[in-house]
Parts: sequence; structure tokens; C-alpha cells
Amino acid sequence: MTESLTGAQILCRTLLEEGVDVLFGYPGGAIMPLYHALPEFPELRHVLVRHEQAAAHAADGYARASGKAGVCVATSGPGATNLVTGLATAHMDSTPVVAITGQVARSMMGRDAFQETDIIGITQPITKHSRLIEDVEEIEEAVREALYVAQEGRPGPVLLDIPKDVQNQKVSGTAGQRGRESTPSRSSRADTVPLPRCPAGSFEEAARLIARAERPLIMAGHGVVLSGAYAELRVLAERTGIPVITTLLGISAFPEAHPLHLGMPGMHGEVHVNRAIQQSDLIIGLGLRFDDRVTGNLAGFARGAKLIHIELDASEIGKNVPAAIGLVGDVRDVLCQLLPAIAPRSCDGWRQEIDGFTRLRDENFQAGLSPQAILDAIAESAGDECTIVSDVGQHQMWVAKLFRYQRPNSHITSGGLGTMGFAVPAAMGVALARPGEPVWAISGDGGFQMNMQEIATMVQEGIPVKMAVFNNGYLGMVRQWQQFFHGRRYSATPIWSPDYVKLAEAYGIAGYRIESLDEVQDAVAGASAAPGPALLEFMIEQEANVFPMIPPGGSLSEPIEGEPAIRMVPA
Amino acid sequence: MSEDHQTVSVLLEDRLITLNRAVGLIRRRNLPVRSLAIGPTATPGTARLTIMMKSDEATAERAVQHLEKMIGVRAAIAFPSLNGVARELALVKVRAPHERYAELLDVVQLYNACVVDDAADGLIVELTGSEAFVLSCLRALERFEIVEVARSGTIALAAANNLQTETAT
Repeated sequence: MTESLTGAQILCRTLLEEGVDVLFGYPGGAIMPLYHALPEFPELRHVLVRHEQAAAHAADGYARASGKAGVCVATSGPGATNLVTGLATAHMDSTPVVAITGQVARSMMGRDAFQETDIIGITQPITKHSRLIEDVEEIEEAVREALYVAQEGRPGPVLLDIPKDVQNQKVSGTAGQRGRESTPSRSSRADTVPLPRCPAGSFEEAARLIARAERPLIMAGHGVVLSGAYAELRVLAERTGIPVITTLLGISAFPEAHPLHLGMPGMHGEVHVNRAIQQSDLIIGLGLRFDDRVTGNLAGFARGAKLIHIELDASEIGKNVPAAIGLVGDVRDVLCQLLPAIAPRSCDGWRQEIDGFTRLRDENFQAGLSPQAILDAIAESAGDECTIVSDVGQHQMWVAKLFRYQRPNSHITSGGLGTMGFAVPAAMGVALARPGEPVWAISGDGGFQMNMQEIATMVQEGIPVKMAVFNNGYLGMVRQWQQFFHGRRYSATPIWSPDYVKLAEAYGIAGYRIESLDEVQDAVAGASAAPGPALLEFMIEQEANVFPMIPPGGSLSEPIEGEPAIRMVPA
Repeated sequence: MSEDHQTVSVLLEDRLITLNRAVGLIRRRNLPVRSLAIGPTATPGTARLTIMMKSDEATAERAVQHLEKMIGVRAAIAFPSLNGVARELALVKVRAPHERYAELLDVVQLYNACVVDDAADGLIVELTGSEAFVLSCLRALERFEIVEVARSGTIALAAANNLQTETAT
């Protein structure tokens, strides 16, 4: 006798078969059949968040840390729309997230039913793919397809919208079960990965350019992390002596302390990094898309440099910066093919020249509580296994520039979308993907307050994220722009915070307020030793700025390196 | 690179959601679209979307690369419109006083068009040709009273590249 299963049961079973072990979600009317089925699948852990946005960010953090798809669940209508920011974040940063949303019953669709929303339409520009499941027979194949599409090629978010009656629809237990080896019928690798397009002779040509360049640079982006091309990148750099720049999402793809590592480029990149780009005659771009925060004004970007662009997504080649050679493919695959053609060389003169570009800054922070001192204490206490998840704003730039990353993929942040409120929920996902390893969520006082409700989730689920808040009483990055470009008119940037120590106490977790340098070490050590989550509030200099800064629309050659005279609002 | 008329021809899954997604992509990428036309192909379940753009070749090629990434798109190519055959259909309802009927029919004949309906409120004229031909004929008809115009958008086939065989592989 074959047992009869509901769509919801098939959904859970297929997720498990595909290796999914945790769902971040929030129940509601249209997704109740799935929640009814969940207790029958205890291996499928459900983490009840406090807001669906956090479910999407947590799935994103889980995906970035584990390399597998992260899955989030929400009900129809407001549940689904709350996922939107998280899906857009995952889309911009190419992260494999699968969102499962409940939908009103098929007979109600299109009639403006209670909690009905066209979530497929809403998320179309911010998902890699989406699908409305119209019959129970589709569920198994659709789930396999969604997980496959999210992870293959250039990863991205996929949304499955499942009407409530389809979740309840019954079908015989073995019908339609294809087993996990089967490939999804509607997609194959060819659908999701552009075929490698490396024209004949292009490797030799690239090798010739690399051999002849006088001032070459490697720019490593997120693609290096996604493809795990750490060793290949290192071989390329060490064999040629070419200095390595890591973009915001490329940070930790190359050892921070390596003598060939230069740092981060772009709007808040160090002067020597940006000057190296401007002076270079060859850029080897690995898995990056030349975002405007990296290039500054395109007309003035690296005008003397040829570009060898190695990138999985063909549509990125030549999109912003013209490429002399475009090698389309997974960064690791392409480097493996390219490396045999690369002859040893050195770049000693060029590296000395770059060293000469370095500027030392003298920055004073109140009570010695500098970002560097705080991050050093965290690095010392957390050790090599630590993952840092940063939010968005001034602290994000300090964390990107100052933390000494020890191992690959240990820096996780919202780069493309710049989503404030990302760090705390994403860190929950990271912590579940890397059990037993220290995970720190570092936020400003603005971003922290956007998703601090998730402390409750951490407490309920026993997720031991350490949360550091850089509190300067301002939305600091916006305030900095107001100071530099809007005549110091601090409109809507002063921000009040609750007493975070009392807040920690209310949630029953360890809380610390750190007001001077001599308190840092003990507090960080105490938080690290605490068994569960902990909250640390660092009272940093109120009006400290992130230097250097390329003004918006400026070229990389025009950094602001110190406090500017008051400028008036641009006309 | 010079700006010219480019044709982007896309074979895609014949479903509203897929068409919606393809058109959404074109809007989101801010591509300089002049016309869109969609219709079935010889392969059941596959539709052809023809996008006419005024752009350089690189922009059209980028549109193809973005479209090729979409699930549900079976194949896409771009070609300069001069390297293919392009046609548009237009229906024009024209009103003319009785004394100018002969003049109107002369224009219709001159453009090799035909009258497909003789309604109470005017004649419906059917035109087929390149976009330039249709525009020229519309200008000629403007000396009468044009009541309504319906245009199909341009459809095109490349002279050299066969998209249909591309999908068969």
C-alpha cells in the first residue's frame, strides 16, 4: 500500500533529500500546511526569526559561510514582502538563497484575497529565478530545480511560491519521486552557466600581457571566494610577484598579512591602492564586476591599464570597464588553465613604487578607543577560526580595512546592496553553518537597531553570536557625507540608542559598555567566554570619519585625506 | 561605435511569466527599445520575441548575454537590422470625404497596401513592410483623417544566423 503524502510533506522530504538541514522562517496563514508537516521531519531544523527580513539575511549568511544554499520560509502577503530586502541583498552579492513563500489558494488568486500579493512579480528583478507551483506533482521537481539553479553558475536567489491548497494537495507517496540523482527537467547546467568562452589563443595572449606588463595588478573579487580559487590566486601572485588588491567582497580571498597584499580599492580604499590602480598598465580582474564604489568615475579609472577580465558571467565583461581579454568561466577553472602558461617574473621595482604611495595617517580616537584597537582585541580573543559579519556604514569600512583576516571567506558583508541591518541576522546563519566557531556581528548603532529584535531568536535557538555595536550616536557614514558635501547640516543623522547593557540584561545575555581602551580586552574576553550570545557597546568618537574617501563621482586620483574645510551644499 | 538599428531575436518558453521576465529584464537594464513583438514559432511551446533597439552592437550583444542567463530563454542572438529581413504590419483606419475617395485609393495603391474593411466611420488600410516603409505610408495618409492606428511591432529574421537550429542542438 502506498501512503498518501501532502504537498507540504513532499516539500520537506525533498528539502532533506537535497541536503537542506535548516530553515529560517516565520509561519502564517498561507504557509500553515508546511508548518503542520514540519514536526514530522525533525532533521529539518526550523529557526523562528522575529521578522522575515532576518530569515532572508540568515539564509544568506548561512549560504555564504557554508557554500550551500540557504533556505528561508514566509507566508503570503506581508511575510513574503518582508523577504524582499534580503533577496535583493543576496541577488546583488550572488548568494544562493531559496525562498519558499505560501500563496493564497489557487481558486482565490487574482481576486485580491486576504494576504495575497504577487510576490513573483515583486521579486522578479531581484531573483535569479522564481516559480509558482501550480500542482502538487510539480513540487519535488521544482524544489530540486530551485536549489540547483540557486547554486549553479553565478549563484543567486530563487523564489518558490506555493499556494496553500497545493501544499495540502495529496498525492501517492512514491508518485513523482525520482530520487536525488535525477536532474531537474527544466534546467540543465547549460541553462545556468554560460559556456566557457575563452577564444583560441586567449590564454597565451593573456600570459604574454602578464609577462610584458611593467606595472601589473591583480584585483580579486567575490568570484574568487565563490569558486574557492584561493590556492590558484596565490600561485599566480607568488609566481609573478604581482601585488593583489581585494575588493570588499574579495577580502580574505588572499592572506591579509601576505607581502603581496595591498588592500581594498575604491571609495574608501587606501591611497596607495588607488594610486597603484591609476598607475598600472595591466589589471588582472578575477571574479569581480567593477562596481562604481570600486572604480570611482569610470572615465578616469585606470586609464593606462589593459584589463584581463576573468569572470563567470559573460555579461559582466565589458559592462563597466572595457576588457582587452575576457576569459569567461569559473575563476578557479580559468586560472587552472591559465597558470601553466604563466612564466615566473618579479615586480620588485613596481612594488617599491607602490610602497612609496603609502600615506600614514594620524588619527585620534577618544579614550584611545580606535576601531583598530577594538578589532585587534577581537582578533586576539577569537583567534584564527573567527568569522566577522559586518553591517553597513563607517564601521564596515573600518572592519574591511583594519581586521587581520586569517582564513579564506572569514569576512561576510552586504556589499552590492549595502543593506543596513544585515549583520545581526546574517551572523545567525553563519553561526549555524560554522558550529563551534566564533562569529562576531559588528554593526553601527543605526544598523544594529534595524534588526536587534533577532537577539530573541538567538536566545531561543541558542545561537552564540557575539554582537559588537560601534556607537557614535550618529548614522555615521551619512553624517560624514553631510559634513563633507552638505555644509555640516546633520539632518536626521543623530540617533538615540537604548541602554544596550540593560537591553542585554532584558534578553538574559551578557552585556558590556566599553568607554575606554583599558576596558576593551576584558570585555571582549568576557563576551568570548560567555556560552551564549553577548552584546558589546563600544562608545567610539562621535564624529570620526573614514579616510581616505573618493568623493562621489570623483576619480580614484582625487582622495580626500583629511578633515575638509566646510563645503556648501552642491547646487 | 555607431548607433544603429539592432535586432535582438529571442526564442523562449511560450508562457506569460517567461515573457514577463524577459521584458522586465529589458526594462531593468534600461535598454533603448524601439519595438517589441511576440508570437509562436514552428516549435510548440516556444515563442519568438523580437526586440528592435537603436543602439551600438555591444549594447545589443549585452542584451543577449543578459537574456541568455534567464531560465526559460532557449536562445538569443543580436544582429544589425540591415543583416536581416524585417517586417511590420499596420492597420490604419482613415476617414476621407467622398470627393477624396479616389485620391485616398491612389495613395493605398501607390504603397501597395490594401483596403481590408469599409466601415461606416472610415476605411481600414493594411500595410506591410519595413518600419521606414510603414512610417512613410502613414505620413502619406496623414493628408486624410487618420482615426486609429494599430502596429504589430517589427518582426525579423537574420539572413545568416539560424536561431531555430541553435536550439535544436
